[in-house]
Amino acid sequence: MNLQEIINQLDLAVLTHAKAFSSIYPTGGYASDLLSCVIAGAKPGNLWLTIQAHANIVAVASLNELAAIIITENASPDSTVIEKANEQGVTLLVSRENTYQLAGKLWEMGIR
Amino acid sequence: MNVQKLVELVNGEVLNPQVALSHELKGGCGADLMSDVLASVKPDAVLLTGLCNVQVVRTAQMADVRAIVFVRGKQPTADTITLATQEGIPLISSPFGMFELCGRLYQAGLRSLEEPVSS
Amino acid sequence: MSTLQELQGRKGRIITDKDAREISRVEELSYDLKISEVMTSSVKTVSPEMLMSAVLEILRVNRISGVPVLENGNLAGILSIEDLVRCMEKNELHLPVSAYMSHNIVSVNAYDSVVKAIETFSKERKGRLPVIDETGKLVGIITKGDITRGILNALQRDYHEEELRRYRASHLFEDITSDRTSLILRYNIKARDYLNGGQASSHIKRALLRLGANPQLARQCGIAIYEAEMNLIIHTTSGGIIRVQIEPHRILMQTTDDGPGIADVEKALTPGWSTATQEVRDMGFGAGMGLVNIQRCVDKMTLESTPGKGTKLLMEIILRPEERFKEIDDPETLP
Repeated sequence: MNLQEIINQLDLAVLTHAKAFSSIYPTGGYASDLLSCVIAGAKPGNLWLTIQAHANIVAVASLNELAAIIITENASPDSTVIEKANEQGVTLLVSRENTYQLAGKLWEMGIR
Repeated sequence: MNVQKLVELVNGEVLNPQVALSHELKGGCGADLMSDVLASVKPDAVLLTGLCNVQVVRTAQMADVRAIVFVRGKQPTADTITLATQEGIPLISSPFGMFELCGRLYQAGLRSLEEPVSS
Repeated sequence: MSTLQELQGRKGRIITDKDAREISRVEELSYDLKISEVMTSSVKTVSPEMLMSAVLEILRVNRISGVPVLENGNLAGILSIEDLVRCMEKNELHLPVSAYMSHNIVSVNAYDSVVKAIETFSKERKGRLPVIDETGKLVGIITKGDITRGILNALQRDYHEEELRRYRASHLFEDITSDRTSLILRYNIKARDYLNGGQASSHIKRALLRLGANPQLARQCGIAIYEAEMNLIIHTTSGGIIRVQIEPHRILMQTTDDGPGIADVEKALTPGWSTATQEVRDMGFGAGMGLVNIQRCVDKMTLESTPGKGTKLLMEIILRPEERFKEIDDPETLP
């Protein structure tokens, strides 16, 4: 399943510059709000689900070469965060749902 | 589902077996930030978390959470286990990560027990 | 009846109202309790052919003072310790039970009240009475000790239930009359005391539940005060004080500290805004939702702060009529 399909199916908002989402295939999912855990455990190409919307998430996503960050519960990162993400080529997506539900749906869609 | 069933679904290890596992769970919540749990979790949920300190139990108490599952085989501190046992909250350690835990439980029919946070 | 006489008979003792109440409760209980409820139902029995020496063993090992004698499953008589003593005096332990047992059986019915047993005890000078059911079958044995024990247990159950009832009272201030009643709880919170963080809030929540607050109300207060407590632990220089004032119509919660103070109160109230360090965030705090959560749980919240001096956070919950701790003179309850 590619990122574009995921964005469509889960009705995610795209906050950063568009990319060739249909050619990005996430390698799995990772859910955590503790940055140190993410740095230690997330694999390259993972989709990261978190409610954190501050600037540090960009650095983490970049460090771990994650496919995208899905910010849950409609949390809104401010403009500096989005700017930073664009600079670093990190994709920021937003979902209205919470981590539990989102992870559940992604799991059912086959993302492991 | 009750806590016993949950333990089986998450390949869990019960860290304080003296506590009863019969409580019925009304839903799930995955969170690492205490305020999130307090902001939205409705009573009788199971909390899935990567947080291992004693505050998780305090938060669970405040929010009327009925069981806590620690992800990635994390083990909380001894006083966390003691407090949880005192309060009658089962602590379970699961080898799965948060994503997988949410996925499996969601698939098994346990729905989200969070109130949508009004933006 | 004997128990009453025992209570009344003490020379020179004035029976107070409390005594009178207890006496009549005892009397009441002896009518209420059935013999089947206080008797001993696992009865040791002997047969007429058994030797007296064997009976001696039975009485000794079981520490009882008498046994019914059963012949073909029917009650044929009673053998008491007095009979055994007479037998030992005559050195006739080799004789069978039939030689010493008493054929004069006085029994009571299992379905009768204890008062019947008391009457029988005083009429017939016996130490124990066999208990039979409607068909005449032996179902137990009763002694005066059983009666006393039974009544004492019942009285204890009474007290226990009364205590429980008082604890569960949903009307905290029912028996307290004053122009204004409030219960104040105070807690000292130490800065960076993560280990004990939440303990005060837990005590407060429990206190509210004990006082009869409904679970939803206790939860709301618990959440609000927990966030406030954690703020004292995470952000203050030297900790602070929690003060909870519980009144029949409202609950006032307040936290005060003496530093460092909040530079921008507006910003502090913005969801997601936090001054917490990365270390604190890794502990699961610092999401910047604390004050927002509090606002959601209480009816009124005010935050006052002077940088360099300290901060005061006031939270108030006005209890809805169905949540209120009722006062004795509450206009709502007056006819």
